[in-house]
Amino acid sequence: MSGAFSSEISTYGEHGWIARLTGARDIVAAALFVNTVADAVRGQTGIIDAVAGVDSLVIRFNPELLTPSIARAMLEQALAATPSNVCPARKQITIPVCYGGAHGPDLGAVSKKAGLTPEQVIKTHAEQPYRVLAVGFAPGFAYLGPLSPSLHVARRATPRPRVDAGSVGVAGAMTGVYPLASPGGWQIIGRTPTLLFNPSADDPFTFAPGDEVRFRAIGEAAFHALVENAL
Amino acid sequence: MKALATIIKPGLSTTLQDLGRPGKRHLGVALSGGADTLSLALANAALGNPANAVTLECTLSGPVLRFEHDAAFALAGADMNARINDAPAPSFQRIEARSGDILGLGKANAGARAYIAFAGGLVGDEFLDSRSTFLPAALGGLNGRVLRAGDALRHAGLATRPPRDIARSLQPVISQAFVLRATPGPEAPLFADAAERFFAAGWRVARRIDRMGAQLDGQRLEAAHQTSMASSPVFPGTVQCARDGAPFLLMADAQTVGGYSRIAQVIGADLYLTGQLRPGATLWFRKTTPADARDIARKKTLLFGDLAPSGLFY
Repeated sequence: MSGAFSSEISTYGEHGWIARLTGARDIVAAALFVNTVADAVRGQTGIIDAVAGVDSLVIRFNPELLTPSIARAMLEQALAATPSNVCPARKQITIPVCYGGAHGPDLGAVSKKAGLTPEQVIKTHAEQPYRVLAVGFAPGFAYLGPLSPSLHVARRATPRPRVDAGSVGVAGAMTGVYPLASPGGWQIIGRTPTLLFNPSADDPFTFAPGDEVRFRAIGEAAFHALVENAL
Repeated sequence: MKALATIIKPGLSTTLQDLGRPGKRHLGVALSGGADTLSLALANAALGNPANAVTLECTLSGPVLRFEHDAAFALAGADMNARINDAPAPSFQRIEARSGDILGLGKANAGARAYIAFAGGLVGDEFLDSRSTFLPAALGGLNGRVLRAGDALRHAGLATRPPRDIARSLQPVISQAFVLRATPGPEAPLFADAAERFFAAGWRVARRIDRMGAQLDGQRLEAAHQTSMASSPVFPGTVQCARDGAPFLLMADAQTVGGYSRIAQVIGADLYLTGQLRPGATLWFRKTTPADARDIARKKTLLFGDLAPSGLFY
């Protein structure tokens, strides 16, 4: 019995397999499941990569150590052995956010699309806890969800060439924080002064899959005080 | 410590690179490392360096540097008309430089990247077991950035083995036209006829190309039925199609997950060639089965033996 999720496995390149969940309705359960499966496969003999997305995972194997069918069997075994229940978070993280203004240039557009006032958008975004559904895109970037359906908006039609480090964005059913200045297509509603990726720290990464994350609204003065502090 | 060499002119985008950060993608950390790993490895092999020694990766136009003490170096990759003082500096062989000598690289006639390896390797900032520069996060290399005039290259002092001959037949030939073998990607079935067109068509590398990837011009490939795809893992060599149908080929610095349909995956044995793509280059993707691709990886691994580190072709 393959947990509570059914999945389809297909090739990913000549030395990889992808497993995609089919018909998973609960985005949090699905994301935590594929991350747990990836953790279980990673580190086994001959596995080079085990990387999870939101509802899929890919493993890549060393052909000098494994045949394609053995690698696939390792994946199938982990899929079958991983429970599908949502475990409580091991870590709680609170991220202070200064919403709107220069820090959140898309807050107005998101409010309009959602049919809410900017204050309601901020309250809705900050009041509920999220889980880290996946990490990736850039070092330190976490996909957080689920986002309240009232805040589901499409990505920007044209990505911005540069989004400031710490920018808090929404896109579809997810929210996230850009750890580094980078190009980005998410709708930016605020910015955190918290440093989310610090390569010289013992643990460079703030987020791990499954962590619980809350946003706390702060004002401009607090934002600048925290930036000073972080330096 | 006295510098091994000093950068006089930095070139267009010169960074410190080794073989990168394999196996860290679950942390959101890109592979990085030489965009053309094979040329990087051959430059190191020509000196007897460990395969993972830090080299200079030069992009389209190379640097000019002055040796601050006697040292040996080797070049590989795109031909940038390198000269040591005023004499031509041939690729794929160990060259002795004296303190005060000037090594100057010009523009690449074909291809995009040349590698300069130094016997004993260079020092770079370490992050997750690699010294490769990853510019988007300002990681590794020299303060995570491209080299500038005045920068000092420091010698890592790694133990070397005897220099290796790189037979002419093993020296990659770099032209302006590329054929990359590729297997169909996980979303290829969604593209129906467009997937066949992808493999049949000739493509042109757009101006938008860097170490993360290359935009491809030629035609638009719309998926037969659009699905909104949740973020899913991607790798160097993955070809994604954005919603506007333009294919984008991911390279060494590719992000770890993406939200666009994956139409193809370049085979591991051809991946190093992506590091030589430049704007205007033409390329074809030759459809290959996973079984054939594994066979090619096996043969290429045997062909290069210990000149290339294990795993370079998969």
